[in-house]
Amino acid sequence: MRLELRGITKRFPGVIANRDINLVVEPGEIHALLGENGAGKTTLMNVLFGLYKPDEGEILIDGKSVSFHDPGDAIAAGIGMVHQHFMLVPVFTVTENVMLGVESVRGPLGQQLDRPAARRRIIEISEAHNLRVDPDARVEDLPVGVRQRVEIIKTLYRRSDLLVLDEPTSVLTPQEDEELFEIMRSLKASGTSIVFITHKLNEAMGIADRITVLRAGRVIGTTTPEEASLEKLAEMMVGRRVSLVVEKKPAKPGATVLEVDDLVVRDDRGHVTVDGLDLQVRAGEIVAIAGVQGNGQTELVEAITGLRQPVGGTIRIQGKPVRHAPRAVLEAGVAHVPEDRLEDGCVPAFTIAENLVLNTYYRKPFANGPQLDRDAIEREATRLVQDFDIRTPSAFNPVSNLSGGNQQKVIVAREFSRPVHLLVAAQPTRGLDVGSIEYIHRRIVGKRDEGAAVLVVSTELDEVFALADRLAVMYQGKIVDVLDPAQATTQQVGLLMGGSRPVGIVEAEAAGGLTHVVTSGG
Amino acid sequence: MTTTAAPGGEGVSATTTSARPHHEGLAARRALRNARIRGAVFLAIGVYAFYLASSAFSTPASFLFRFFNTGQERFEIATSVGLLWLVSGLASALVGGLQLWRGAAFRWRPWLFVVIAPIVVAVFGALLDGTTANFTNVLRGSLELATPLTLGAMAGILSERSGMLNIALNGKMLVGACVSVIVGSVVLRFTGNVIVSTTIAIAAAMAVSGVLGLLLAWLGIRYKVDQIIAGTVINIGALGITNFLFLRVLGRNPEFNTPPTVAAMQLPILSDLPVVGPILFSLRPYVYIALVMMVVLTYFIYRTRWGLRLRASGEKPAAAGTVGINVIRIRYQALLLAGLICGLAGSYLPLATAGSFQMDMVAGKGFIALAAMIFGAWHPIGAFGAALVFGFADSAQALLSVLGVAVPPQLLNSVPYVITIVVVAGVVGRVRGPASAGQPYEQG
Repeated sequence: MRLELRGITKRFPGVIANRDINLVVEPGEIHALLGENGAGKTTLMNVLFGLYKPDEGEILIDGKSVSFHDPGDAIAAGIGMVHQHFMLVPVFTVTENVMLGVESVRGPLGQQLDRPAARRRIIEISEAHNLRVDPDARVEDLPVGVRQRVEIIKTLYRRSDLLVLDEPTSVLTPQEDEELFEIMRSLKASGTSIVFITHKLNEAMGIADRITVLRAGRVIGTTTPEEASLEKLAEMMVGRRVSLVVEKKPAKPGATVLEVDDLVVRDDRGHVTVDGLDLQVRAGEIVAIAGVQGNGQTELVEAITGLRQPVGGTIRIQGKPVRHAPRAVLEAGVAHVPEDRLEDGCVPAFTIAENLVLNTYYRKPFANGPQLDRDAIEREATRLVQDFDIRTPSAFNPVSNLSGGNQQKVIVAREFSRPVHLLVAAQPTRGLDVGSIEYIHRRIVGKRDEGAAVLVVSTELDEVFALADRLAVMYQGKIVDVLDPAQATTQQVGLLMGGSRPVGIVEAEAAGGLTHVVTSGG
Repeated sequence: MTTTAAPGGEGVSATTTSARPHHEGLAARRALRNARIRGAVFLAIGVYAFYLASSAFSTPASFLFRFFNTGQERFEIATSVGLLWLVSGLASALVGGLQLWRGAAFRWRPWLFVVIAPIVVAVFGALLDGTTANFTNVLRGSLELATPLTLGAMAGILSERSGMLNIALNGKMLVGACVSVIVGSVVLRFTGNVIVSTTIAIAAAMAVSGVLGLLLAWLGIRYKVDQIIAGTVINIGALGITNFLFLRVLGRNPEFNTPPTVAAMQLPILSDLPVVGPILFSLRPYVYIALVMMVVLTYFIYRTRWGLRLRASGEKPAAAGTVGINVIRIRYQALLLAGLICGLAGSYLPLATAGSFQMDMVAGKGFIALAAMIFGAWHPIGAFGAALVFGFADSAQALLSVLGVAVPPQLLNSVPYVITIVVVAGVVGRVRGPASAGQPYEQG
């Protein structure tokens, strides 16, 4: 299928998400759509998929103009979409999920589901493209990599000629990435066109035939991996030269601040997700935990910050066991940048000023007995808005009106502006643009240089490598290894994240003289 | 199952204590602990039943069954309360023993019936305290009283499977009851035909309740009003309007409050079967309609295209929407159907039991139907089973108060509600409902 978007413009109240976008996807081509969060990639694809109506412009398929009113029209035209957040019904089986919307039916009323027929076609498709999956498994029991395969099968089941993959690698390990790329190549070989949406430069360089860069809703340019370089793509994406590495001096570790021993934590469903975990973080160093999402990182951070009661083990901060109450932990000198900034990081309906004193409002100088000292709060807020470069008309606007990057800056300002012994930052730059990422990374390194112990949890390998003085890999609730980021390779870490232990890693550790955590067999 | 590892099996991990597989260990240990607690509770119930038995052998317990619908032939199961307790104790002890023996792998839920059924009979016998009880009537009553609850639960299942909370069952049933009475009375006066007037009365009740269902859908979908609040508004509104109609219209014009009544129906041949004939096959048509609906809904929800789409809408509407399914239309359809069923359920109360409309005559049955829906894990057959439990409690209570048992009637009246609380609080184990019920869906 040859897809052409001509002059697409999509406006939302107050913003123009897509501005006069032209894009051509040739048959059998992998076309990467590269851009930062908020550049308009997803909006564009939602326009293509019939979820939004464009204000201007037209969509042409094989030269003919088409208009889609809902996803059904787009699917009928041969467009398949794999959303970033999987669109699968967890309690349904693979077969039920794949057939949903295009069910095979039989029976006198023409209403009864024909599961065996659907099942047969799924097996055919999965064998043809090496998409291994059990058609009778329940989706909620499947790992994310397999769920993604189910999504791809879903589009092939609908005989799509053009596949849109929206940030498909954000949930995968590096090994699963490679498997996905294999599948993409196999699909391309069979003539399917693929639009690959990403903000990761090296992925675009690695797999795409052509790359189109979007910035602020506009097409900046289309290029090929042969002509482009990482630096050039980054510049196109951000609009200025960016440094892709974090400047930092070697760490000068001091005394141990955080000591986690044999920690066991359960998640909300009662499953043990942190499973006998040991970890130490010393003053003046950054320990970064890498791992695929859902390997217990969330629960580990919640346990350390007092938000979740562990089932077993101990957590000591500066040698003292912590009481598992958020305020007790906070008073023990711990700052926390939570994973989900709108859920746990701030109260979106409150003003910036109120959010900035959310953890100190009850103390002097912000409180006088039971009464808040508005003036003191205002002074502090004005100071922090300036110091941390929060872009807002005033400190009295609600946080919900800010952009993601500025919301994160409010949280960072609140947490970083008081003296702490330990900083716990979970996914500190998730969903932020490269500029904000640079800024927050610099602040984190600054906190380390002030002498705080820093624990960073991230699923982005680039971030982990950029920040870590020691790099810990978490898998199934345990720290499976602690590496020196200067010596470790992405591949090594990727294998550890996937649960396998590469050969030769022991020597690397011995050479680096690193703290070593005992792991069981394998 | 147990935590001891085979010696030498895993040398490496045995030496490093911190690397024990907590993951499986903890979950299994917890399951085992729960299993042991459960087993001990069953055993304790058994022992207590034996204790109760020891002092009750002298109290006779006799249950009467009618052989046929007509005639006086009957037979009596005469035993003693002590013997009933003894059986209960044995059943409990058996299940407790099985539980302890099989550990966490024991599938105990179906066995719960084995424990509870004899206890219920024994309690019943103990309450009767020697009086002879007509069990045929109790069982008939259970089925009859379960019928409006079953129908209500079916309506609840349809709505919640589509992703809409339907707290308004009660109000819709109440309006259905009121409409059926007024329409039925008027049509009966003009035509004098019982069958025609009943049919029109029920159709009118269904239509009005269906409109109320659409109103709820419209508020919840179009205006994204919180579905609990929208439902509560409908409940309060229904109560107000029907109270007004009763006091101002029906009260002054009794000719509007004399609807046709629905009598029991003798199914040919089957109703002549001894013992089971009177219990199962000579009930009001409503009961059979409810049973047929249970079967049909089960088929439609789990076996058809529409059912798959309905469940997808309730579990993850975004997933349904992105494959081109019109989630909103499905939700409107489901709530319309639910409304129609509520109207039918509402018409049962005046037409089949009371013979006239009274203020708030639904008396919370819509909410008990919701409890039956949860108890039955959002499955039509499960919900019918749950409704039967409530129906039995209601029926037994009615008999006991007629017989003048030495228990305050208020206490007996509260039995179905107490069971509701116990059930909804999750004593029977947590069940999972449709994941997205109650959340508005944004299309596009």
